[in-house]
Amino acid sequence: MLPSLVTSSLVYGSLFGLMGLGLTLTYLTTKVPNFAYGSFVGIGIYTAYSLLKIQRINPYYATFVSFALAALSSVAMYLLVLRPLARRGSNIVSLMIATFGVDIAFVGIFGIYTDYITDKYSLGDAKSFYPLQADFSIFGTQGVVFVSPLVLLLFTTCLYLLLKKTKFGTAMRAAVENPSLAKILGVNVEAVYVFSWFLAGGLAGVAGTLYALRFSGGTNTGSDLIVEIFASSVLGGLSSLFGAVFGGLIIGASEVMLTNYFAQGFGFLGTLTLSLIILVAGFGLVTRKQARRKLFGTVMLAVGAYLIVDLLVGFTFVPVASQLVSGFGPDAIAYQKGIPLMIMVVTLLLLPRGISSVEWKQIIKRRRN
Amino acid sequence: MSLPQVIFFGVDLVRFTIDFVNFFALYVAISLTLNIEFGYTGIPNFGKVLYIAGGATFAGSIAGRVAAYILGVQIKGDFITYVPQIINDVNSELASNWIAAISILVLGLVVGGAIGAVFGYISSFPAIRLREDYLGMLLLAVAQFYQIFLRGFGPLVGGTQGIPVPDPFFYFSTLGLGVRDVVGAAVLATAALLIYFYSERVARSPLGRTLRAIRDNEDAARALGKNDVAFRRSVLIVASALSGIIGALYTFYIGAVGADTWQRYAWTFWPWLIVIIGGAGNNVGTVLGALVFASMTKGLQQSQYFLQPYVPFDVNWLQYLLFAGILILVLLLRPEGIVKEKPSPTLPKSVLKGIETLKRKEKV
Repeated sequence: MLPSLVTSSLVYGSLFGLMGLGLTLTYLTTKVPNFAYGSFVGIGIYTAYSLLKIQRINPYYATFVSFALAALSSVAMYLLVLRPLARRGSNIVSLMIATFGVDIAFVGIFGIYTDYITDKYSLGDAKSFYPLQADFSIFGTQGVVFVSPLVLLLFTTCLYLLLKKTKFGTAMRAAVENPSLAKILGVNVEAVYVFSWFLAGGLAGVAGTLYALRFSGGTNTGSDLIVEIFASSVLGGLSSLFGAVFGGLIIGASEVMLTNYFAQGFGFLGTLTLSLIILVAGFGLVTRKQARRKLFGTVMLAVGAYLIVDLLVGFTFVPVASQLVSGFGPDAIAYQKGIPLMIMVVTLLLLPRGISSVEWKQIIKRRRN
Repeated sequence: MSLPQVIFFGVDLVRFTIDFVNFFALYVAISLTLNIEFGYTGIPNFGKVLYIAGGATFAGSIAGRVAAYILGVQIKGDFITYVPQIINDVNSELASNWIAAISILVLGLVVGGAIGAVFGYISSFPAIRLREDYLGMLLLAVAQFYQIFLRGFGPLVGGTQGIPVPDPFFYFSTLGLGVRDVVGAAVLATAALLIYFYSERVARSPLGRTLRAIRDNEDAARALGKNDVAFRRSVLIVASALSGIIGALYTFYIGAVGADTWQRYAWTFWPWLIVIIGGAGNNVGTVLGALVFASMTKGLQQSQYFLQPYVPFDVNWLQYLLFAGILILVLLLRPEGIVKEKPSPTLPKSVLKGIETLKRKEKV
């Protein structure tokens, strides 16, 4: 049996990878962040819930239904809302507020739907429910732990093959790079966009269904996940598909790991290491030329130094270090979503174009010389 | 003394008017601050709820503690655990001690404004650097995080359960049923009116023209020597401080504060909807938008009693669908809103007319 820290990170990471991939797909086509994307995840969650509770259909079969439902809603949103607005020449803020509007419409739709099924099938927990108990297990480890990384791998590989090896994929890349030029060369840009939105919605639906197997869900769950979805996508660079996959994996794993450490405490050595990392990173930033990074580095330097002194003299000051050593307990859950948020803020400050903009080859070369 | 009851088709008109004025004033005030940010300066603030919630939660939490301290109410153990009893005692003290009541109200507003300003200052760092889409994502995520944080974090407002807040208007509730609510609604309406005049004054001043210049062409404004970064920062700080104050006022009016109130649709989306319907960049439009929004919401709430037996769900959900539909239709069919943005006159109309006649005479 695998430790729950590893399994939770795997599931979280893979699901955020799927969602980040989807959000990035829609961003690439319409150049607008889709604020309603969390609601498509919500569609997946509720498809799994309703099919299991009402029809007794296993959530793994429900993934196909949720893929179709979420994909169709996503295409409907593109065709009925975003495309007419974009054709009208609306600016980016109008498009953003329109996606926000769609998200709000989903608040109503989920509300109406859950009221209805609560009433009709006397389901008391439709508004907020525990993880669905329908998963199989392999050697005592929940099935979704294996399935979600596999699904992520499957979708990523298929997308890679599609983009790099097929004619439609080449057309897709062209349509994203330069729509007007692609149009002149006979690429059906509209078909490409519709396909992107279809796939993006489908990914959200599948991710939502798998999510409901492992974590508790409710009417708010989808829209709460928007923090991690944005963070994954931004970490990946917002316009790189495979960057978003890695972004999602990093966000999911760090959220689970760090929340756990904050809850249980890092121990003396762990806190010391953490403080040293902060200190060294702060020192590295202070030596940079830009004033902004200098300021950031100074703050980090101060925090690191404070933690180490506090730790060494035995928690005489404001007991931050002692809390880090012994843990925040269940309170840590309150800070959980702060972790993806912090990663997003740091990414935007230091690496605005995400991990996909880092040129690893050059860094390795520089190190060798 | 108690409020008169005028029943009209099963609706108590007096009660309805109070609720309506309160709701309308609240949304006018919030939307006007959004209009200063988005309409005049072009900062797409998709995290509006953050500043209102920040002001409201800190004001509610701190006002309760300070009131208990200065009025000498005994706190046995943890504040959050015993808060209903403590606030009960505080309120009965406040009913007779009007100096304390006013001080608590002012303290709450100052705290709310200060927290709003601090949040505004912090968010000005991304706001002056990031493109609209990145900024929208970041502010939306931060606001969502703040709500989730409140849900899990006990000491501030007691998580989802919420805590009661000392009531500076408590004296009026001893006078009769509903009198307090009239006073509360009057205070909110006064605040909304003040913000309207302030916002109108900003729009007509050289500052307003500078802001619009920055919105329309940043580079040109910079080339003319306007420090666009400083202007954006101060707009965000001022608008956020006003939002924080409104949040604090709302908390005092409601009498409690918790985590679940601060949903992004109620405090970010509705103000955006109002500004878009009314027309961005003009205050009259924003007020009209708020009027349309408030009438539709309250009308829908009243129709609930007739509709409810016929539908298998809570009728209130329909407003989300309705307003989302209206927003998208407005964006598609009339993106400039009900009232188009006009060049705002910098002098009173009579003076402008005088100048025009003078010019005409000169020509002759």
